[in-house]
Amino acid sequence: MGPDRRRRSVRVGLCLLLAAGVLVACSEERRDYPLTEQGRDLGSLSGAAGSAPPVAAGVNFERILRARAEPQNWLTYYGAYDGQRYSSLDQISTGNVRDLRPAWTFQFGEFGIKAGEATYSFEAAPIVVDGVMYATAWDGWAFALNAETGQELWRYKHEIPVDTPLCCGNVNRGPAVANGKVFVTTPNAHLVALDAVNGRPVWKQVFGDVRAGESATLAPVVVKNLVVVGTSGAEFGILGHIDAYDLETGRRVWRRYNIPKPGEPGGETWPEKGEARNRGGGSAWITATYDPELDLMYWGTGNPSPDFDGSVRPGANLYTSSVVAIDPDDGAQRWHYQWTPHDLWDYDGNNENILVDLDGRKLLAHFDKNGYFFVLDRTNGQLVRVAPFVERLDWGEIDPSGKVSPRKVPTREGVDICPGPAGGKEWTHAAYSPKTRLFYVPTIESCANYRVEPVEFKEGLPYYGGEANTLPDHWGAVRAFDPSTGREVWEWRNDKPMVASVLATGGDLVFAGEPTGELNAYNARSGELLWQHQTGSGHHSNPVSYSVKGKQYIAVPVGWGGWVKGFAPGTLGVPRGAALMVFALP
Amino acid sequence: MRRRVVVLAVLAAILSVVAVAAVIFPDYFRLLRPSVLKQLDPRVVKLVNELPGVDRQNQELLGRLFALGGLAEAKEGPDGVMRVDVRAPKGELIWEPAIIVMPRSGELEVDLSNDDPYVHHAAIFPSNGDKQFVMLPIHSRGRARVTLDSPGYYWFDCPVGNHGGRGMLGLILVRGDVPAEARLDRPEQPRP
Ligand SMILES: [Cu+2]
Repeated sequence: MGPDRRRRSVRVGLCLLLAAGVLVACSEERRDYPLTEQGRDLGSLSGAAGSAPPVAAGVNFERILRARAEPQNWLTYYGAYDGQRYSSLDQISTGNVRDLRPAWTFQFGEFGIKAGEATYSFEAAPIVVDGVMYATAWDGWAFALNAETGQELWRYKHEIPVDTPLCCGNVNRGPAVANGKVFVTTPNAHLVALDAVNGRPVWKQVFGDVRAGESATLAPVVVKNLVVVGTSGAEFGILGHIDAYDLETGRRVWRRYNIPKPGEPGGETWPEKGEARNRGGGSAWITATYDPELDLMYWGTGNPSPDFDGSVRPGANLYTSSVVAIDPDDGAQRWHYQWTPHDLWDYDGNNENILVDLDGRKLLAHFDKNGYFFVLDRTNGQLVRVAPFVERLDWGEIDPSGKVSPRKVPTREGVDICPGPAGGKEWTHAAYSPKTRLFYVPTIESCANYRVEPVEFKEGLPYYGGEANTLPDHWGAVRAFDPSTGREVWEWRNDKPMVASVLATGGDLVFAGEPTGELNAYNARSGELLWQHQTGSGHHSNPVSYSVKGKQYIAVPVGWGGWVKGFAPGTLGVPRGAALMVFALP
Repeated sequence: MRRRVVVLAVLAAILSVVAVAAVIFPDYFRLLRPSVLKQLDPRVVKLVNELPGVDRQNQELLGRLFALGGLAEAKEGPDGVMRVDVRAPKGELIWEPAIIVMPRSGELEVDLSNDDPYVHHAAIFPSNGDKQFVMLPIHSRGRARVTLDSPGYYWFDCPVGNHGGRGMLGLILVRGDVPAEARLDRPEQPRP
């Protein structure tokens, strides 16, 4: 075969190759059809009305200040700025609660993949304004419903990346409503202001960095002309902060970091050298309470990072696992009190700070995850009283003067310590009835095996420095406490932890849901169980009460999930749900 | 002398075949970049090497392992909207591409065509405001406008029958970062 023939065969080969390529390319070419199909909002293919009456336009700071004066509504996260979770409505009472029955149910079994498939949970505190209910669910969903019939009025979806960093669950604790807008935080740390009439966004701000491990789960709180939020993510070594935005424009007015810089007050409680303070945690994932007379907001702060390995952060680690009293106008701190100095147990300090006035004193009551019930003077942060509120407590002692003496700390080998990382009480809120002058507290009796496992900090990776595995025997109770003595008045025991917020009403009733689906009503004075309804999924939310046309309702989001592995691993298999259930007398 | 000519001719022929093939099949040649070869994970290679049917219907598995329908980057138009074409090819129950890359957060317009005579499809897309639903009868074309405003990945699906499970589950990858003002006030830190 001569060179000419060889060259010719190469040429032929190349041509064939070329032809094959063209053929392949042609067969992949798309066909051209006329454009006939347009994308539509999924909600437009539902029974949603599309708009809500403009009732939220009239909700402003002055009305939220006097929320107790309109018991037909539930105007802010805790029902009022004081955090008492008390409704003075008394139509449903100890005498007739046995007749309480479902009035309507809003079901939201969505389809598709979401972040934290196994951890989504329906945790919201619905807001009710003059017959309209605003609620949020997991994964960026928000709704307006007719509070009398349950009809969907509008819905809003904020898309959440499937890979959003979440320490614990794909959850949201509810909206805030003011000035005709509904304010919602999203798991990827956006704050969205929606038009309360149609659910369309008015403004949006990003207040956390998902790559750094920040997220958001809390209900915003409106104070004056501001809407105030905080971040989650101290399990990723974030720098916890609280941000305030202008209600109307969305402009950020201030940001406050919960970890002081060197030279600032509290800065000396962190190692001088190194990066520990820059990854110090101290998130703010539970809504603040507010005292308008003192003009102070009370924010709880989360655990220091890493959770269990304290060797990289010697010192008290202010202002983690604390309450900070801050000026709503500029975020400046007036005082602080640290519940758990140098927290090694993931006890946080985020649990609500309930404001009560007793014997002429302005007090702040707080049931901490560390198992102690604190009463402070909320004008200056001085300790008034401290006492344990759970039976299983051996991590350390806090004496009446407030002196903290740790007894058991996590080790490399592992050690059993009580309470476990979910605490003697989880974030789920206590209630206070000014009528009975008692606190009603959902409690957990649990221990965990705590182990230190030092790790190098890497952005966006879990930064625990160990682990805490809740031990199998765990139970709980609803307990009533008298704040003037610190003494327990009654207890209702359950074989599972009680991990849903409590609601107290003027009908001398206390409502609390169980992990196994029962919604319970108790006599507020005796703790006697008066009524029970099986809702089909576990409770990990914020029940509220309101009335429409003179009829009182009890509303409770039902949908088991969240950080079950931590607070009640014995209930990981409880059926999931996605229902907002509302009860009334016939 | 004659031997050297032959060797040179063979070399030249190989080189020209390689060059022409590189033009015709650029995707294969891009795989040979050192930066890609460096990342070749034997476990991933094993997937198609030992289970060559995972990207075909009813062979290795019942359906086609999703996200094997290829990747395309959405292109930004002069109006700032990113655009991408996605089709359902004949008899495969997949999206082509199965992975849409948005270079940044923003608005994406997806032009969809159903080239599949076997079955009608539909698409459900993630979007701020509400999920977007598009019907796709056989031999039809549709369009969805979606807004995604955070880095990370999202899914899209065909909600007909179990087309998602058979292979019509796609991903939208949004690149980029959150706005500078949202980031933490702390020094640069190591990424994993
Ligand atoms: Cu399909």
